[in-house]
Amino acid sequence: MFIKLDNETISYKDKIVLNSISLSINEGEKVALLGKSGSGKSTLLKRLYELHPQNSSYIPQELGLVNALSVFHNVYISNLDKHSTFYNIRNLIKPAQKEIDIIHPILDELYIHDLVFKKCGELSGGQKQRTAIARAILQDNAILLADEPISALDEFVTKKVLNSIVNKFETIVCALHNVDVALEYYDRVIGIKDGQIILDKQCNQITAEDTNQLYHVCDDQF
Amino acid sequence: MTSSKNLNVTLAFLGVFLLCAFFADFSITTLDPISEMKNFFGGVLQIDILKTPIYFDAVVNTICIAMVAIFISAILGFFFALYFHYTAVRISLAFTRAIHELFWALIFLQIFGLNTLTALLAIVIPYSATLGKVYSEILEEYDVFPKELQSRKASKVSIFLFTKLPDAMPHLISYTMYRFECALKSTAVLGFVGLTTLGYYLHGSFMQGFYGEVWLLLIIFYLIIITLKYWFTKYSAPFLLLFSFFYLDDFSGFNIDNLIRFLTFDIIPSPIRKEQSLSETYFWFENIFANEIMPGILNTIVLTQVSLIVTALIALLSFPLISRKFVSRPSAMGGNILLVVLRSTPEYILAYLFLQIWGPSMFPAVIALALHNGAIIGHIMGHQSNELILRPDATKKKIELYTYEVCPRIYGSFLAFLFYRWEVIMRESAILGILGIATLGFFIDSAIADIRLDKVVILLIFTASLNILVDFISRKVRNYLRLDTTIKNDCSCTI
Repeated sequence: MFIKLDNETISYKDKIVLNSISLSINEGEKVALLGKSGSGKSTLLKRLYELHPQNSSYIPQELGLVNALSVFHNVYISNLDKHSTFYNIRNLIKPAQKEIDIIHPILDELYIHDLVFKKCGELSGGQKQRTAIARAILQDNAILLADEPISALDEFVTKKVLNSIVNKFETIVCALHNVDVALEYYDRVIGIKDGQIILDKQCNQITAEDTNQLYHVCDDQF
Repeated sequence: MTSSKNLNVTLAFLGVFLLCAFFADFSITTLDPISEMKNFFGGVLQIDILKTPIYFDAVVNTICIAMVAIFISAILGFFFALYFHYTAVRISLAFTRAIHELFWALIFLQIFGLNTLTALLAIVIPYSATLGKVYSEILEEYDVFPKELQSRKASKVSIFLFTKLPDAMPHLISYTMYRFECALKSTAVLGFVGLTTLGYYLHGSFMQGFYGEVWLLLIIFYLIIITLKYWFTKYSAPFLLLFSFFYLDDFSGFNIDNLIRFLTFDIIPSPIRKEQSLSETYFWFENIFANEIMPGILNTIVLTQVSLIVTALIALLSFPLISRKFVSRPSAMGGNILLVVLRSTPEYILAYLFLQIWGPSMFPAVIALALHNGAIIGHIMGHQSNELILRPDATKKKIELYTYEVCPRIYGSFLAFLFYRWEVIMRESAILGILGIATLGFFIDSAIADIRLDKVVILLIFTASLNILVDFISRKVRNYLRLDTTIKNDCSCTI
């Protein structure tokens, strides 16, 4: 048992966000969390991160990028603890070729290699999301916990990015909006509504009825 | 809900205003104020541009002192900001900030004499405290990098430099530039107590009634302020700064013995120094308290509260002058020049001018404080009203437009600006005592003239406490009105 929640209830200001959730995720599983905004996905991901801060990369929904810094610096941020303060300051002022060489292939795979020295504040939503993904990849952890990291990407880029994420991380828990993407790229889907798990199945066991239910769960209009 | 709160606060302050106005002395004591005014404004016609080179040294001196002072203040302020969460740092900065730079100058004159060191210290001490406070607020505002992503193993310095400073930097720089403009004004005013900046010549020309020279000096001063962003850029700044450090060399008065004497002897209350009994010490204090502190505090409050309401009035009346909602483009430009000139003239200089014309009473002081501060707030409100988008079928009648559409929309931020200026108005009210109005500054100035520095310190402690109290009430009022969150971003830089 890799990640385990046992009858967990989390509330914010008297409002229950997660209602007695029990969940276990095995090593190597790629899990998609489906649900509309406010259903409790973000809270669940944050909680999972708190349980395994040492070996997981986390991408919050707001991404946590520093707008005044370049893509390179924003990715390098996840390596701050691997270097001395002096070396970090040197890289802040003038990035070392060695570090650029490490980061460049990651950006290449995510199709943002031409933006390496562009300030994050000048990027589009999708480019920002890919910068945050690159930062998570550079951290080199076994687990990825990501909160809607691909919502602003077009179909072509989504596929490329998902492929590289799936290759880089052993275990993935990722909040999504898109049911089709979830079923295609992940092993298991969990549907959340009003802080409760209403569906939890391996993708190869999903029926047409389940799919309908998931569409319903993800549609913000209901 | 909020609007009724606005009304409550407005009525409460109007009530205090009426009470204070009842006690205020608004007499005009000069024999012929009309001809004084004629003389002053007639001075415009006597401007002799050929005299400009005489003031070259004063201009360079003013700019250099302000530049070095703001440079040192920014560095100190940055360190204060990093340690601002310590209560001891907070309290000591609140105190040093609450004492006006002219008071600091008067103190350092006693220790170091008339030289550059006195001028620098007088600016650096209050300015570094202000910068420290505002820097810490700005850094806090940009503390948005998710805690989950901050590695526990990386050094705090690395995390600070990578995740906080880059986004905060433009805001920090723009605020520092704004304070540099303030420092230029403050440095100029230091001339009034004898330091050889622009104010020194302004004071001299005023005294002799050479109004042509006064106008020339004021115009030079406005030009320095208005052209600031053209000559002080990121490319020129390092060279200008380096030049300033070499240019300022008059540190001759520095004498460590004077400093030791000041700290260990001069400021010790005289009964203690003379080893008198406790009751005599108490009597000494009670005497100062009843005859100087109490009347000083009361007069300072009266002047502040009256000026605050007149400031509000001037702001509300003046903002349409630059608002395209009310006037044509050429008129708005004219209004803009008027407000910028009033805004750029330090209240001390305005007060000095009006005192020459009307004689020492609260009247000229109120007009000076209200014109300067009212222009600052009116200027911001005007810009805000320009940004309002009204529906196409909004009334075209000006009065209705003002009362129904524009004022209700910007009244909340108007109150916020006003309460931000409240503390500044109080600090200035105290300082205007130097010009002969019986606020705290009057008693401080007299005590310095009598070389009774022990009394000066006690008066300054009460002055600073009064300021901190007003700052505290202002924060409470703004919280009550829920104003802070809406204006924090643009306000701290302009006000």
